Amino acid sequence: MRSVKSLATAAEAGRHQREWFADLRRRVAAGEPFALLNADVPHEIFRTMDIPYAVGQWWASLAAAKQRSGHYLELVRQRGYPDYSEQYNSVTLGSAFDPEPDSGPWGGLPRPDIIVGDASGDLTRKIFDIWGQEPGVTFYPLESAAENEVPANWWELMPHRWEQAVGPARLDLLTAELENLVRFLETTTGRRFRQSRFREVMALVNEQEEWNRKTRDLIARARPAPLGVVDSIPSVMLPQWHRGTEWARDIARRFYEEVRDRVEAGHAVCPGERARLMWIGRGLWYDMGFYQRFEEEYGAVFVWSMYLAIAADGYIRHGEDPMRALAARFAAFTDQLYTPPWSSEWYVKEARLHGIDGVVHLVSDDPRGSYFTARALEAAGFPVLEIHADNVDTRTFDGEVAERVGRWLEQVVLA
Amino acid sequence: MLAALAALEEAYARRGAPFEGRTGAGAPVVGYVGADMPVELLTAAGARAFRLTGDPESDSALGDRYLGRGVDPVARSVLARLLAGAFGDLDRVVVSRDCEASLRLFYALRELSRVEPGRRLPEVYLVDILHLPHRTTALYNRRRIGEFAARLEAWTGRPLDLAGAVAAHNERRRLLAAAAELRRAVPARLTGRQFLAVAGAALPVEEHVALLERLLAEAGRLAEHAGRRVFLSGSDHDTPHVYEAIESEGHVIVGEDHSFGEPLRAEPVGGGGLDALAEHYHHSGPTAHRATAAERAAHVATAVRRCRAELLLAYSRVGDEAPAWDFPAQRAAAGIPAVSLERQEYGRADLTALRKDDPCAV
Ligand code: SF4
Ligand code: SF4
Repeated sequence: MRSVKSLATAAEAGRHQREWFADLRRRVAAGEPFALLNADVPHEIFRTMDIPYAVGQWWASLAAAKQRSGHYLELVRQRGYPDYSEQYNSVTLGSAFDPEPDSGPWGGLPRPDIIVGDASGDLTRKIFDIWGQEPGVTFYPLESAAENEVPANWWELMPHRWEQAVGPARLDLLTAELENLVRFLETTTGRRFRQSRFREVMALVNEQEEWNRKTRDLIARARPAPLGVVDSIPSVMLPQWHRGTEWARDIARRFYEEVRDRVEAGHAVCPGERARLMWIGRGLWYDMGFYQRFEEEYGAVFVWSMYLAIAADGYIRHGEDPMRALAARFAAFTDQLYTPPWSSEWYVKEARLHGIDGVVHLVSDDPRGSYFTARALEAAGFPVLEIHADNVDTRTFDGEVAERVGRWLEQVVLA
Repeated sequence: MLAALAALEEAYARRGAPFEGRTGAGAPVVGYVGADMPVELLTAAGARAFRLTGDPESDSALGDRYLGRGVDPVARSVLARLLAGAFGDLDRVVVSRDCEASLRLFYALRELSRVEPGRRLPEVYLVDILHLPHRTTALYNRRRIGEFAARLEAWTGRPLDLAGAVAAHNERRRLLAAAAELRRAVPARLTGRQFLAVAGAALPVEEHVALLERLLAEAGRLAEHAGRRVFLSGSDHDTPHVYEAIESEGHVIVGEDHSFGEPLRAEPVGGGGLDALAEHYHHSGPTAHRATAAERAAHVATAVRRCRAELLLAYSRVGDEAPAWDFPAQRAAAGIPAVSLERQEYGRADLTALRKDDPCAV
């Protein structure tokens, strides 16, 4: 199966990731503090204070790619915990229980001094609190608050008018929690938080995501598609974990340039392009070749995944008060992807922008807002195929999915 | 059966339907969802308010479709019944954020109203009370409680009688705690199933209080219930099905830690108006969905001793996985045999494990 990463930025992002992790392991071994952060909490605080951190979801997806999830879930089960729930977080917890931590992917995840996650759902806090019971590990939870009434067009409001999109109650809460987090980190690590550095970090993040926005807009307009999601996901996703660095900003720019060069050269990822597909849901990390399986036979290209699109629309926050702007980035982050009307309206907007012919929707066991997303897309005229799987747990993946997608392409999308 | 108990049972059978109360005919009918509802405010607004409950025996297809089958079937059932009109004519639906399923239910209702205005669903409102034990959360909750109070006043067009409502609900809490003592007696003078009715009778608070007083006055004549004394931990039970299944095998449920049984927190709401109310609901007790496993284990250790339970039975429903994460710490803390039933179907309990002689071996 073909899964060639043909973009230079994708290759570089992969190489950088290994170097970064090796360096992180060295720094932690030399006595620096180490933080494990969930994807949807403000890493920018740690970046500003130069505290080494890794992202739980990244680690879980690496474990999945290295066929290690089953082992970690087994360790969770051995302690009497369920191995069937919230697998992103339980896989990460399982790696903490590994009696041979160094045998993990890339030399293993160091033991964190601090874990930060938001108390979303019923389990995230519980799972990380269990980890926080281990000696030397502190769990710092953030709230996950909800709003009654929200304007639907969040992607238009967020860059500047985030106060209006998110609402003051949630912003006040997260801003206060972050101020407290800074104090906590200053106290426990002895490091300083400088406002001037913080502004720099915030500016770098906005620049990085602005490049992603230009790239997204370019891909949306280009015919034929200059690249598919197998190329775009690593070029955008890995740099996300390095938000606020010059490296991440620069690679986002070079990613844009690579895509632009391809467009200008008339390069087609799939020369006989007949259908442009949208992938909704988490990435199939352990089988990225899946996305290319339909190119030769059907001329069907996956041109859209949430990773580039959410980078383009989900992160940019301008504003005078950097802490409140940072709170605005995360106080409603997952609502952008999962909570209607934000999610449903946004997917329709993106499908239109990209000229999508069909939508493949990966519905996990935990289908947040799925029905309304599919319904909104169908109401807007996009055919939607739902497949059920959980992308970290390789045990529940259905090998017949490719066949179903093929039939759907023949009978619906290309019919 | 004693008269008071019979009346409570009868009112429990009518749960999930608006009661004919003494409140005026024009009072708004409010269905609410979830354990985190500051019911004092609903009473203070003069609403005819009742908690929406599911039914494992009725069709939940629409709830399954809108929420997805991964969500707690109780929420799916509540949504399906709401859409089918099973709760009668509701003026408003108010949702608390006691667990993720309730929040999803709120989002589904909000979105259905938006994309299908023709359904004419009742207006839905979220009361977002959070539970991290921090001042930041306390300030947020106070703001949300204030907003909810203002919204209720806007709905009814009159000021709230908060002090009266708080006093009435405090009295109900006090009496429920006294009734729980009857069940904790050895032998138990109430079964777990009876206690569900005692706590969950669908009555206006004053009528409920009056019946509880009568029950306590008649307590000397309550029957005795032998049987293995079980503490039930885990998922909410909005119907008697699981209690009946467990007790039909000769057990007596003498305590529980979910929101349809004995209140997790017996302390009265203080006299500080909305501040006190916000504080009360902020710290409403170690629920499966909001507390840590360590807090849940500490609570079980105390509760098991208080009710002299002989078996800890942890129950988690399919789609409601939080309780399963508590079990290892609970088992270690309980000091009595412990059995965990996981991924149980709504309204069912697979009791095979309970029938084995030595539950420790399970
Ligand atoms: S938003 Fe979704 S995909 Fe992103 S980290 Fe959270 S759960 Fe994972
Ligand atoms: S793309 Fe964004 S939402 Fe998705 S996992 Fe990464 S950080 Fe989370």
